[in-house]
Amino acid sequence: MAYLVTFHWGWLLASLLLGLAMGWIAVVHRGQGVSKLTSRWLAVLVAALVAAALARVIPGRPGYWLDLGLIMFALYLAGCAVGSWLRDWALSQHTPAA
Amino acid sequence: MHGLFRWSSKWWPGVIPLVVFWAIAAWTSTAPLESDLAARSTSALKDTVLDKTRIEVAGRDVTFAADAFSEDGRRSAVASVEVVPGVRLVNDETRLVPEAKPFVWSAERDVVRVTLGGSSPLPASKARLLEAARTALGGVEVVDQMNLSRGAPPRFDNAALLLLDQIGKLKDGKVTISDTKVSLSGMARELGGREAIAAALKNLPEGFSVAANEIKAPPYIFQAYKDPVAVTLTLTGYVPDNNVHAALAAAAGRKFFSEKVVDNLKASVGAPSGFAGAVVPALGALSRLSTGTLVVSDREVKLSGDAFYDAAAAQIRAGLAKDFPQGWQVKADISVKPAVAPVDPTVCQQLFSDLLARGKIRFESGRATIDPDSAGLLDRLIETALRCPTANIEIAGHTDADGEDGFNQALSEKRAQAVTDYLVKAGLPANRFTAMGYGSTQPVASNDTDEGKAQNRRIDFVVR
Repeated sequence: MAYLVTFHWGWLLASLLLGLAMGWIAVVHRGQGVSKLTSRWLAVLVAALVAAALARVIPGRPGYWLDLGLIMFALYLAGCAVGSWLRDWALSQHTPAA
Repeated sequence: MHGLFRWSSKWWPGVIPLVVFWAIAAWTSTAPLESDLAARSTSALKDTVLDKTRIEVAGRDVTFAADAFSEDGRRSAVASVEVVPGVRLVNDETRLVPEAKPFVWSAERDVVRVTLGGSSPLPASKARLLEAARTALGGVEVVDQMNLSRGAPPRFDNAALLLLDQIGKLKDGKVTISDTKVSLSGMARELGGREAIAAALKNLPEGFSVAANEIKAPPYIFQAYKDPVAVTLTLTGYVPDNNVHAALAAAAGRKFFSEKVVDNLKASVGAPSGFAGAVVPALGALSRLSTGTLVVSDREVKLSGDAFYDAAAAQIRAGLAKDFPQGWQVKADISVKPAVAPVDPTVCQQLFSDLLARGKIRFESGRATIDPDSAGLLDRLIETALRCPTANIEIAGHTDADGEDGFNQALSEKRAQAVTDYLVKAGLPANRFTAMGYGSTQPVASNDTDEGKAQNRRIDFVVR
């Protein structure tokens, strides 16, 4: 893991920034969100992929690509969470003043 | 917290560019990642002794194939690849180097090259053996057909290095180590090479033994050539040591009474047993030839040349048949010199005097037995007697003045008679010869000195 982080820090940083941006937007976004059912299925899918990666059942290059994708996705989610929370905090700072 | 769930339902659009990033990252980073991991794995194995190492990386998975020289070495090699940072899985395709039983190593030399074959325990010792072969055989092509095997006996390297040193002393041949048994065969490059190798084999490392040493030496050659024109006897080839050398030179001096001895002999080890005992009678036979060549090669004696007359040829052949030590072979190719034109009795007398001035008929001290060393001179005297068939010859025996007159008189008579008998045995008619003994009555030099006495002890041929 440490090796992947040092080898791919550029891409991981890009994922994190993308997450921050998406999280920042998501708070005020008016569009349709994914339904509860879909998000559960997605969560199950991601959990299955994480399990596959940890069990190292996928060999060779596909296994490496899965690891890479999951790490980028994890950083994206972390970025989203931080971005959304920051935007929410920023909005709550403004609202009383307005 | 509730908000986070609410917002998260709207995070999905970012996944689209994320997937694009992921695709690009995977596309561009796979090859560099794989080569980086291969390099790290290779350097992790740098200090491990392995053969046929192969590392293939797919993603983060390393396929590691190699031949290891021990089970511990194999396990530690796999472990050191497993702990390389970034490696996810190691497909272990390592195995142990096959064990050779018996563990056989060989070095074979022919005219142009040396071939190293069989098994070698480790890559390092293989390299060391090759290097040693190149050093020991400067300039000779060294061909490596060794493979690597387990099961070498302890101190194998030292034994093999010692044998490689010996290969340099061979013209052709093969040395083999089979477990701890050493066998050698072939031909030594020089005389004494066989002995040098046998001596070196005593230094084999502990535990090793010589199963077979069949190194042959090049033929041990001794040659003598009697040249009637230059009046020389040329000796070439080898003698075992300086004592034998001196003895042979002395024997040649006695047997070849008129020839100058050209001595080109060299001392060398490796002589066949009984060398001196065979060469001395062979030189005696050569001394009775007018021209001839003697070649002694190992235990084979070849004598060729011309005898002075028929009976001499027969005597020489008979002598060669019985005079040699056991195990020696003699090949005689002796012809008879064409008879020389007859001459006047006065010329005969001159020829007798010339011959007897150059050499003397010798006897055993105080007795009337002719010394075999005088056979050459007697042959020449007989040849001369044959040239004047009408002349009657007195064989006159003389002694020095030492001892009683009566004894000297008798001795001189007996000696003259012995010479006469010898001539008759050679085929000359007995009625041409008269044996006379004069004791010490006719000295030719002073009897006061040893030199003078030696001159007075003599046989004269007088044509009457």
